[in-house]
Amino acid sequence: MKKTLWFVFLLFALLVAACGGGTATQPAAGENPAPTGENPTPTLEVSAEPIVLHVGWLGFPDTLNPAYAFLTESYTMFDFVYSTLTTQNPQGEYVGLLAEERSVSEDGLTWTYKLRQGIKWHNGEDLTSEQVAWNINAFIQNQDGWVTNSGYITGFVEARAVDASTVEIKLEYPISNMDYRVSFLYIVYPPDFESFATPEDLQNFTNFSPVGSGPFKITTLDKDQRIIILETNADYFGGRAKIDQVIYQTFDNSDALVQALKVGDIDMTNEVPDSAFAAVQTFENVETISRQGLSLTELIINSAPADHDPAPTRNPALEDPQVRLAIASAINKQDLVDVVLQGNGKPGVNIIPPVMGGGFWYNSNIQDVAFNLDEGNRILEEAGYVKGADGIRAKGEVRLELRLQYPSDSSTYPRVADMIANWLSEIGVKATPEAVDPDSLVVATNPNADYDLVIWGWGADPDPDFMLSVMTSEQYVEGGWSDSGYSNSEYDQLYLDQQQVIDRVERQKIVWKMQELLFRDKPYIILYYGNDLEAYRSDKFTNFLDSPLGIASFQSLMQVEPVK
Amino acid sequence: MSRRDLLIRKLLLSLVTMFVVVAINFVLFRILPGDPVRAVIGRNVKISAEVQQSLREQFGLDKPVFPDQFFSTLGQWARGNLGVSWSLRKPVAEILVAKLWNTLLLIGLGQILSIFLGVVLGLFAGWKRKTALDVGALTFSLIAWATPTFWLGIILLAAGSSWLGLPTRGIVSPENVGKPLYTVIPDLMAHLFLPTLTLSILYLGEYMLIMRSSILEVLSEDYILTAKAKGMSHWQVLWKHALKNAMLPIVTIVALNLGFTVSGAIYIETVFSYDGLGKLFQTALTKQDYPLLQGAFLLLAVSVILANMLADILYTYLDPRVKAS
Repeated sequence: MKKTLWFVFLLFALLVAACGGGTATQPAAGENPAPTGENPTPTLEVSAEPIVLHVGWLGFPDTLNPAYAFLTESYTMFDFVYSTLTTQNPQGEYVGLLAEERSVSEDGLTWTYKLRQGIKWHNGEDLTSEQVAWNINAFIQNQDGWVTNSGYITGFVEARAVDASTVEIKLEYPISNMDYRVSFLYIVYPPDFESFATPEDLQNFTNFSPVGSGPFKITTLDKDQRIIILETNADYFGGRAKIDQVIYQTFDNSDALVQALKVGDIDMTNEVPDSAFAAVQTFENVETISRQGLSLTELIINSAPADHDPAPTRNPALEDPQVRLAIASAINKQDLVDVVLQGNGKPGVNIIPPVMGGGFWYNSNIQDVAFNLDEGNRILEEAGYVKGADGIRAKGEVRLELRLQYPSDSSTYPRVADMIANWLSEIGVKATPEAVDPDSLVVATNPNADYDLVIWGWGADPDPDFMLSVMTSEQYVEGGWSDSGYSNSEYDQLYLDQQQVIDRVERQKIVWKMQELLFRDKPYIILYYGNDLEAYRSDKFTNFLDSPLGIASFQSLMQVEPVK
Repeated sequence: MSRRDLLIRKLLLSLVTMFVVVAINFVLFRILPGDPVRAVIGRNVKISAEVQQSLREQFGLDKPVFPDQFFSTLGQWARGNLGVSWSLRKPVAEILVAKLWNTLLLIGLGQILSIFLGVVLGLFAGWKRKTALDVGALTFSLIAWATPTFWLGIILLAAGSSWLGLPTRGIVSPENVGKPLYTVIPDLMAHLFLPTLTLSILYLGEYMLIMRSSILEVLSEDYILTAKAKGMSHWQVLWKHALKNAMLPIVTIVALNLGFTVSGAIYIETVFSYDGLGKLFQTALTKQDYPLLQGAFLLLAVSVILANMLADILYTYLDPRVKAS
């Protein structure tokens, strides 16, 4: 019995310690992040209490090495720690960041960047034009190593430091979206990256204590606890942020993240789940933001060319433009937004989201096909598809029976698929929803072309180039980005043209024309654009920058301040 | 057979099992659909086909699965090298060890609590059969056993953070990151409390039910009657004669659970953003990170086999008949 008593005592002690410890370690962000007497932090005795912003998110950077980074979380950190030659402003336009001025030669083959004065690395050293040139040249010469940069430097020949504050980049051909491209080329501290002998060595470098030139420095990165502590860079060339520290904490499930916001464990998050947004809006002292973003969800229609290898496996009726039109007219996109996104989005039309570049690239002349089941029935009737006894239309041997697949890792697509299948059944099309493992679905769409309809989504880049490239026939190869298999030589040519037109308005015309072609041929039916859902504790912080860049962007955190 | 011979035989058998598991896992991951390179780089990154191919070569994926990939993996393992994770770019062994400690801490505490409470509760319930205590314990155990892990975790998280001010994630608070765990014990306790409680409640039911039925069976044996006839007190009967025999099924089930909770803690780890092995397995699978997957499943296999061996050895102490056979 002695042992039993001992155990009971231990259990009790654990309970007491747990509850006691819990209250003692409640971080009241914005007031006093320092622990109580048990863990005194000496620096706090001399300076004022630091202002700490606690951010909750659902991921964690796989690496902080820009050569081999694939997760958005890594890029969030790059934006804080590193600087680029250009960046986007809140209005969606490109402006210089490291570069004070930038210009392009007549022939479009030479870009000249004049750097700002007095830019310093986090370690106090000066950032030089030679170092910038070293970066660009490393990306160009070692593409097997700098994997993630390789897509942004195609067409680059070399970089050169003309003088102490000027860098020149030579190109093979004119590049229209140069500003956007260089905005992803994070300028790293060369001594950290010079010594790697092989591409593999370079990629294995996780760079978890990066030296950069950005507005925040990483002081602690714990990959096991998944906590990142950033400190304000007082010497930042763009001025000093009004907060002292930013702490990122990873949550593995969104319910816990929302709960943490509710009880004040975190001060902000830009990953509020659709399903919880309405609840978060009712939280005390929490402000919510629902803003149009760059994500889109589409219905992919198998458009692979008949001579594709392997031969497409699909319902042949999908090759008929009238069938596509009928499908489009049978989808109530507003309903999808209301039900699936709980109103936090917009019905989709084009592959270019409306907010890209402040709306500049989105073809607003295109009028979407209206939701009209009668019209859908009429189109199919006229095209010769007759309803059978079971309510399913057929033309000769071809019955309108389709597979409607979606990646199994999505929580929203099952609902989307059900709703679409219901509408389609009203026009005599039988669509059978089916969840498929995402990797299998990649292979089914490209290169196998073995599907009918697939629901999937994209997160668009700030520049139209990438989304447009997805529809080129060049991308319909194994490892390429095309999943529809759309192939149109006119479109392909326009794609190449828009890459090399320097004049923005000229380029816009081509981009708009490409959207017309896609709308006409319908390899995709764009279902909706989802909103970015963000929330913050309004009792603790204020003055977030509410722009398409998001409240967690470095521009926003530069101006956030505690509530007085 | 002596205990030593038995041990050696078990060990050899375990090695054979391990090899079979390794071989099956090797094949299993490779027949999964999809391309690891694509899984690692994700869907939205613009990487040319040539660069993807060079990654494929770097990972050794350009070579045939059998014999090249199989034997190079085996050779690597024979040298004690589990390889480098493709997605995390760190030695697999290093990753596994870091996460293993966290998981062991959680599982260890949770299992100790649930074994202790389950055994005590089951013992009393069986002993005081058909009393209010028995019915109460039985009802609680059945409900606890049937409760979905994820749901219980979320409910406890919401209640604990709102009413007790307990933390919502992780193992320690941000300001304690990087400090040795023993220096921040109160904070650690606060973080461990809810996940441990969840785990304990879930396993408690199972242990209690098994202990109860086991003790009931033992109590009906003749030697218990003999013991009572000798004039021993209730406690002596229960402690000296009943408990040891009734523990046998518990040892089996604990051993089995220990092996599987290493992976089974995944739900709890996910709810409480607790960085352990469960979460790692999930990442490895979604990224099709073969070296990490193989390493993780090797660890899993080893832990199940070890736990079984442990049970076998414990049996030789608890039940002399095992040794004799």
